[in-house]
Amino acid sequence: MAKTVMVVDDSSSVRQVVSIALKSAGYDVIEASDGKDALAKLTGQKVHLMISDVNMPNMDGITFVKEVKKLPAYKFTPIIMLTTESQETKKLEGQAAGARAWVVKPFQPAQMLAAVSKLILP
Amino acid sequence: MTIRSSMFNEVPLLHIEGEMTIYTAALLQQQLQLYIAQYSELELNLSQVSDIDSAGLQLLMAAKRQAANQGAVLRLTGHSPAVLEVFDLCNMAAFFGDPLIIPDVSHG
Amino acid sequence: MSLNLEQALQTFIAEAYELLEEMETCLLQLENNPADLDAIGAIFRAAHTIKGSAGLFGLEPVVSFTHVVEDVLDRLRAGDIAISRTLIALLLECGDHIHYLVDVVAVRAQQPDAAATEREAGLRQRLQLYRQTSVSEAVSTTPGVSAVRQERGSSFDLWHISVRFGTEVLRNGMDPLAFLRYLNSIGQIVRITTLADSLPELSQMDAESCYLGFEIDYQSDASKAAIADAFEFVRDDCQLHILPPHSKTEHYIELIKNLPEQATLLGELLVASGALTLKELEDGLQQQVDAALKPATPLGEILIEQRFVEPELVQAALEKQNQIQEHKSKESRFVRVQADKLDELISLVGELVIAGAGANLLAKTSQDETLYEATSTVTALVEQIRDGALRLRMVPIGDTFNRFQRVVRDVSHELEKQIELQISGADTELDKTVVEKISDPLMHLLRNAMDHGIESPAARLAAGKSATGVLKLNAYHDSGSIVIEIADDGAGLNTERILQKARERGLVAATAQPSEQEIYNLIFEPGFSTASAITSLSGRGVGMDVVKRNITALRGTVDLSSAAGLGTKVRIRLPLTLAIIDGFLVGVGDASYVVPLDMVQECIELADDSKAAAEPRHYINLRGEVLPLVFLHQHFNTGGGQRRRQNVVVVKNADQKAGLVVDELQGEFQTVIKPLGKLFSNLRSISGSTILGNGKVALILDVPSLIQQLAQQQVQPRLALQTPALRN
Repeated sequence: MAKTVMVVDDSSSVRQVVSIALKSAGYDVIEASDGKDALAKLTGQKVHLMISDVNMPNMDGITFVKEVKKLPAYKFTPIIMLTTESQETKKLEGQAAGARAWVVKPFQPAQMLAAVSKLILP
Repeated sequence: MTIRSSMFNEVPLLHIEGEMTIYTAALLQQQLQLYIAQYSELELNLSQVSDIDSAGLQLLMAAKRQAANQGAVLRLTGHSPAVLEVFDLCNMAAFFGDPLIIPDVSHG
Repeated sequence: MSLNLEQALQTFIAEAYELLEEMETCLLQLENNPADLDAIGAIFRAAHTIKGSAGLFGLEPVVSFTHVVEDVLDRLRAGDIAISRTLIALLLECGDHIHYLVDVVAVRAQQPDAAATEREAGLRQRLQLYRQTSVSEAVSTTPGVSAVRQERGSSFDLWHISVRFGTEVLRNGMDPLAFLRYLNSIGQIVRITTLADSLPELSQMDAESCYLGFEIDYQSDASKAAIADAFEFVRDDCQLHILPPHSKTEHYIELIKNLPEQATLLGELLVASGALTLKELEDGLQQQVDAALKPATPLGEILIEQRFVEPELVQAALEKQNQIQEHKSKESRFVRVQADKLDELISLVGELVIAGAGANLLAKTSQDETLYEATSTVTALVEQIRDGALRLRMVPIGDTFNRFQRVVRDVSHELEKQIELQISGADTELDKTVVEKISDPLMHLLRNAMDHGIESPAARLAAGKSATGVLKLNAYHDSGSIVIEIADDGAGLNTERILQKARERGLVAATAQPSEQEIYNLIFEPGFSTASAITSLSGRGVGMDVVKRNITALRGTVDLSSAAGLGTKVRIRLPLTLAIIDGFLVGVGDASYVVPLDMVQECIELADDSKAAAEPRHYINLRGEVLPLVFLHQHFNTGGGQRRRQNVVVVKNADQKAGLVVDELQGEFQTVIKPLGKLFSNLRSISGSTILGNGKVALILDVPSLIQQLAQQQVQPRLALQTPALRN
């Protein structure tokens, strides 16, 4: 049974690239365009991993992590945060919220797959 | 996760169905504690376990040890493929000492 | 996906070239300082990264060969093999071959040809020696040393990973089992013991906390960094120890000491897995006990002592990780931008400059004071933007300079000369296009200096110089230009021989007595070579004339000075950028021309009487100097009537002056150069075109070439130059 990864990013190209890479590696993918959209799409199905951008409209990545930690069915889901090197304070905020895995933008699909496979194999 | 319990020759048989993960660990811990405290023999059927993570694994380890400390017997049976994979990964077969039935590949 | 991968492939190619360059630089460093661990680390990392990335794109030939190289480098890094000149030479060749493979396989999507396959087989064979020979074997002639080695290094050929997870790991969404599975994907867990020593009683435990630890014997070709990287997301939440294969006994003992479980338990594990023998374990533990019993010798000191005795592997690994992190942070300070985008921006800024100049002109003529002020402000800002945009294209020349280290090394070996290359001014920046185009001429000048300039060690010693010749590459900024100097401390130019050769070749009339500078300049004449025997290096059909032509094409100049017995210095002067120049606008008939401002010396009026005198002679008397004239009207056959009153723009290039006779002086003007199409590539006096504020096109004069043409006309009768190539 394929593992499900949720990709949350306001950039559709990023979502597309990540999603194509993940699907080609054998994961199922749910895409969401921001934190709010992502929460709306968490309707009880099993999600094995989330990948979330930090800067997003409507609901940013940090808030999204905090919200996920409140959901009994999803609170232990590993989350990979996408960050840029300049976002040190965001990273600290994110760590406080419980995010441990970070991938620095820009990344190549292969880097993302490597990061994902450390947390969950397809 | 659901736990179906039945008695077989006065030995309780717990059928664990679904995931033995951090999401269900607290509940499972509570149930195991209860049964181990009451019975000197207990069988856990793992054939319906769809997924097991570190939380599930260490819980089984703690339960096995607890039982041994009390002179009780905890038997794990019917290991599902998910459980077998984890036991194999962590080299835990010897720790539990239960006979493992390797699924016959030709029958899927 | 194919598009994305294509893009990623381009990134890989650029990355690979960068890494190969770094690898080469470090190898050369290593030649001077064999103990440079940083350099060894960097070289390994380069090969490792190339192999890893190439794998992502399925570039099998690159992966397969780089793997072998990496393997040798890994042994070098671990101190199993020693660095030597032969090994450096071999690795340099390997770098070249990887470069070739990337070229063929990644850039051209082809397979290596037969010659390359053969070359690779040879390299592999030579590499194989280093894969088998270890230091202990290499020094086996001295059995004592060898025995000590054997005793210290364990024969355990697996990694040992020891990890204890923190309690919060599970709550943070991390499953230790996932890391084990990942390890199995980049290697193989050979033996694993799951530790539950910190697991509380069932009733006491928090089901969501993690209590697990693992002792793992691991088989993998991955680097220590790559293995540690498997745990990157839990690094803050776990205790991780990784011991490389063949670690020393002390390290295992130290590991045991550092772990929370009982020493005996872990020791037994390690003995069981073969990492330690029982005796080693007992001795090691006894040592700890002894140390603990003697309060005068704190435990730490023994460890320090051991560190002192042994070059610490762990320490090295830590340093390596630091380096990687430094490298990463260095990377992140840069943004990779496609050159096209930058060119587009520069081009737009160019248009902006032109449009701004146009608006400024209009404002001036409107005589509206406030409008003029406003446009002046805009112009000032536009200039800043222009400067900023141009700076984006500026790169330090150091990378180009460093590339020559290799050339100098190889060539000096080939020539059996001892030559040291000294580089200064590597930080000096200039336009990327200029850098790319100056590389070949520089290379040729360097080769020339090594070939003809610097003498053989014997000749040098005989001349009372040190056996090692010095080549200096220097760069600095000088009033809007960059100056690059190539200096050698060789024999200097032999004017007699040059002149003789020039006469033999019929470049100079037998009776002519040219000045010293004129003789030096002969070197840049087509087909000139002073070497009595043409060597494989300089006899490649590229002469100094080509060097000069290339530099002139960059709007640069080249001159040469020399002192017999002391050396030769070639000085190249180049504009900082090719995109924009400050120009001086002149009118000739109904056309406009732009003269690069930095070449304009002065403007004088050509009075009627002197004009009458000048026209047939093509020169005037400028304060006692002969100033040759170019009548642009005639030169370009410009339409439109010639004005009665004319002006002379005095231009100077490389100590040569000329006067350009024009109708009208239209003032300073900043302009963007638009290259002429291929159609016009034969035009000798024009270097480009530009669009004026009023929409008209103005041609940019190629002053050096104009002066050169003039000089030839002047010189011809005197020196009787006969080479057909010199005619226009």
